[in-house]
Amino acid sequence: MKKIIEIKNLSFYYGKQQILDNISAEFAASAITAITGPSGSGKSTFLMTINRLWEELNGATMSGRVSLFLDHEKLDIYGRDVSLSWLRRKVGMVFQIPNPLPMSIYRNLALPLRMAGLPKENFGQKVETALKQAFLWPEVKDRLRDDARTLSGGQQQRLCIARAMILEPAILLLDEPTSSLDEKAAREIESLLLTLKDQCTQLMVSHDQAQVKRVADEVMEMVAGRMS
Amino acid sequence: MKSHVKRQARGSRALFFSATVVGGVLTLSIFAFMVILGLPLFSTHSLTLLLTQKWAPDQGLYGIFSFICGTCAVVSLSLLVAFPLSLGNAILIHLIAPRRLARFLHQVVKMMTGIPTVIYGFVGIFFLVPLVREWFSRGSGMSILSAALLLALLISPTMILVFLESFAAIPVSHIRALEALGGTRRQKLVHVILPGARTGIMTGLLLASGRALGDTMIALMVAGNATAQPESLLDSVRTLTAHIALVMAADFDSIEFKTIFACGIILYLWTAILTLSLRHLHFNSTKPSHDQSF
Repeated sequence: MKKIIEIKNLSFYYGKQQILDNISAEFAASAITAITGPSGSGKSTFLMTINRLWEELNGATMSGRVSLFLDHEKLDIYGRDVSLSWLRRKVGMVFQIPNPLPMSIYRNLALPLRMAGLPKENFGQKVETALKQAFLWPEVKDRLRDDARTLSGGQQQRLCIARAMILEPAILLLDEPTSSLDEKAAREIESLLLTLKDQCTQLMVSHDQAQVKRVADEVMEMVAGRMS
Repeated sequence: MKSHVKRQARGSRALFFSATVVGGVLTLSIFAFMVILGLPLFSTHSLTLLLTQKWAPDQGLYGIFSFICGTCAVVSLSLLVAFPLSLGNAILIHLIAPRRLARFLHQVVKMMTGIPTVIYGFVGIFFLVPLVREWFSRGSGMSILSAALLLALLISPTMILVFLESFAAIPVSHIRALEALGGTRRQKLVHVILPGARTGIMTGLLLASGRALGDTMIALMVAGNATAQPESLLDSVRTLTAHIALVMAADFDSIEFKTIFACGIILYLWTAILTLSLRHLHFNSTKPSHDQSF
């Protein structure tokens, strides 16, 4: 098994409350690892330590080490020389509730490319590829200028996955990506995630045991801030 | 039980409807009141005359155009100074400053909204006016520039607070989306915060222009109250509000006195246009967009 994420002695506090308790774990590359566990056990917080998104919250502190294996090199993501923007482009994230930005479908996908400073000429092609990859192209190809919020919930979530994937991340963090969707839309997302497995490693928080059985290669359980 | 709820709903509807009618009638009555009291002036001086003649009551000329120009100049310049200042301050408090400093600055801004205008006027007379006089070595220092700078200081807190409210109203999910995509603080500002707060920014600007337009004390104390047509920013001017205050203090029944109703009507219409623009902005901001530019 080729590992891509290595966690050592990870503890996390929000104020005085301990959320994660001395977690050490490794995650395999090109696999879907499901993280399950009761509400409030620290699953979403755990995901946020891998792209350092928790640093945007006030009053949170962390100790321990998170390393990624990218391009045959081990990288401590909390090291001084790691740029936050670069890290978050390598580690994409999709949230529980679809969060398209209040702009057109096209601009939702072009924005990450623009922020990464990529040449504008390739945007059209990249947007089309990302939408095709997310099985969204046939549904939106004639309405790329429409506000992304006019899409259905399932379409919005597929757009958010396409948006995260457009920067070709090595890792995709999924925080209960289907919990706000109906059964049909959830199944579509699951199929999409399975097709993306070869392109990036996925860590998915899920409460749905049936879903975990259907898509996960590995399952880790988190209880009261500890992982097993 | 059901009929009780229905009765309550009907009662509330009637109450709110009456309040709306009373408010509307009162507002329109004020307008009618100004028109009726200004009638003696309008019967001898047409609107064209009022807007073209100069102000020279001793020659029977009661033109208020120079006051309109003075008001426009002071209000526009104050907005020109206050807008970037307020936007910058709001961005500093919301996004850049450490939490403690941000909280402190927010409190200072809130406190500034409560300072009486006359205090700003004193600061203007004893500090700003001499400074302008020294810097430009021209005139008394009581000028469009002095009044506009002071008004900018007066309206900035209102603008900053409205901007901050509109920044805070941006959904956290949008901010998180951008952060998760590797957006920097500047990109967050440019792509999410400013576009999301566009309506709030316009609202702040319109509210502040209303405040600048309605202010009397600063214009009266610092603008110089000259009735001639201004030609430069260092000229003294009389604003519409200052004219009303000055004439009311000295007179009550001449044609000169009646001009304050013409000034009042202009201020009323100006404010009404600002208010209607605000309503239009809020109405349009709720519609989803269709992006023409990609």
